[in-house]
Amino acid sequence: MKFVWTAVVGAVLAWALPAAAQEKTSIGVLALSSSGPVYIAKAKGYFAREGLDVDLKIFTSAQQVPVAVASGDVDFGVTGLTAGYYNLAAKGAVTMIAAQSRDEPGYPLSAYVATKAAHDAGLSKPADLKGRRIAITTVGSTFHYMLGILGQKYGFTVKDLTMVPLQDVPKMVAAFKGGQVDAMVAPVTVARQVVADGAGTIVGWAGDETPWQLGALFTAPKMIAGRRDVVVRFIRAYQTATAEYHAAFNARDAQGKPVKGPNHDELLGIIAEATKQKPEIVAEGLPYVDPQGRLMVNDIHNQVKFWQSEGQVDKALDPAGILDLSFVQGHTGVPK
Amino acid sequence: MPDTRAAVTQPVRFRGGGFLATRHRWAALAAFALLLAVWEGVSRLGLVSTLFLPPPSAVGRALGAIAADGSLALHLKASLLRIGVGWLMGTLAGIAVGFAMGIAPVARAVGVPLVSALFPIPKIALLPLFILWFGIGEPSKFATIGFGVFFPTVIATYSAIDAVPRNLIRMAQSFDLPWRDILRKIVLPGAMPGILAGFRITASIALILVVAAEMIGAEYGIGAFVLTAGNLMQTDQLLAGVLVLSLLGLGIGTLLSYVERRLLRWR
Repeated sequence: MKFVWTAVVGAVLAWALPAAAQEKTSIGVLALSSSGPVYIAKAKGYFAREGLDVDLKIFTSAQQVPVAVASGDVDFGVTGLTAGYYNLAAKGAVTMIAAQSRDEPGYPLSAYVATKAAHDAGLSKPADLKGRRIAITTVGSTFHYMLGILGQKYGFTVKDLTMVPLQDVPKMVAAFKGGQVDAMVAPVTVARQVVADGAGTIVGWAGDETPWQLGALFTAPKMIAGRRDVVVRFIRAYQTATAEYHAAFNARDAQGKPVKGPNHDELLGIIAEATKQKPEIVAEGLPYVDPQGRLMVNDIHNQVKFWQSEGQVDKALDPAGILDLSFVQGHTGVPK
Repeated sequence: MPDTRAAVTQPVRFRGGGFLATRHRWAALAAFALLLAVWEGVSRLGLVSTLFLPPPSAVGRALGAIAADGSLALHLKASLLRIGVGWLMGTLAGIAVGFAMGIAPVARAVGVPLVSALFPIPKIALLPLFILWFGIGEPSKFATIGFGVFFPTVIATYSAIDAVPRNLIRMAQSFDLPWRDILRKIVLPGAMPGILAGFRITASIALILVVAAEMIGAEYGIGAFVLTAGNLMQTDQLLAGVLVLSLLGLGIGTLLSYVERRLLRWR
């Protein structure tokens, strides 16, 4: 009996002592597989190994995460990049420090989906979206930008098509199924679902057409100024997880077919639990994540330029001023 | 015999007064000005970030900008049409149903549980269904506002008819007034104050719902403008849109006061 108590007390001390020495910090995330590396770093103890006790605060929309960082409710945030994000950055509220997921050739993440009627009438490739009615979530969303860069590639602007903002994905799907729009830009799981329902056809992937930096890890400038070592340790743990994520999920064989990498099932289990979805659903929509969290810096510049040309972000914003590229080595496309 | 009571009369302090609805127009204005000054002040002094609370001057500039480039007129036109048509549809249908429930016991027996069951449904939750039923054009926006206005109007109308003094109706019946005249000359005017009070509530509901209605693929409209400003984190524009909405509310309230004075002149 006495032995049991000693063991229990010993175990409690062993658990409590290092925990007490750990520095507390927090990150705002969405329950999506694109935030997989954060869940992996937490579940596998990479944050703890850096002496960080990271509290994961779950948000329901990409809009709320940078707002929470700006207000100081969380120290870090990781989510998709919208015009709203850049407006917060323009006011000096957030600084981008590493990459999250991105649209990459060969990795299905964001789909252009045509309704059955529009497809029968000839909407068969992404370039055909010009002049159509396309459902998006909101003005200033990632979907809005994806239509913008598609236009940059095929020589049209978003003014050449009709964007129908419907606020969220369920309303987009309702308008799509009701034949109120010709097409929509949708996340892979939603796109596959409407195809399975026979309501539409996937005519292309944003990753194949216009690779771009969809999401990023960011923090408040005063975190970098005041608690720089926490940021450094946080990113080190994050990079361990992105490398593991990349090796497990982003490996492809010579034909471009997905190959299960090391720890595949274990990591899939972690993400499935965090996103509260079935592993087989999660496996279908795992986005590309750079193994070292490197940003496509030229695309960030292009995003800012695009929102400025749309009149949705202050013209005075200099993209270089809202990036801190010192934490991750080897960012791509850094303008000279 | 001289009256000695006058001698013992003591001067009494006047204890009346107060509790009177005297007019203090300047008080409301002064309070408003003070609030604006404090708001502008905390922002100018850097006590609050302009991101979290844009100063009134920034809100005014944002409002001036959309007024100058003509987009405010487009937003107002689109929203007023939706509010007008949606409110009118909901109100006409609501008064008809409310009247039926007020005078026909069978209609009431059917209607009361139905209204109780359908009224609390959040219209925003039904938006995907409205898109499937009415599309993403104007009809779904009219429907969102119309549904929101309908139920409170029904409730206001049949309660107002309930409150018409029975003895007036009995008297008319004893004078052998035809049923139609009882409705037109006694029930309708008697119920009017209650119905008009309902209008005040439903007009505000219509203003609240125009934001929800314009979630459905609206290019123009005050609601669409507020939603876009929120999505873009343009907080000064967001507050400018909210200001326009509350000015609309104030305008509609004033209009209703005028209508009340006209229609209730018999009182």
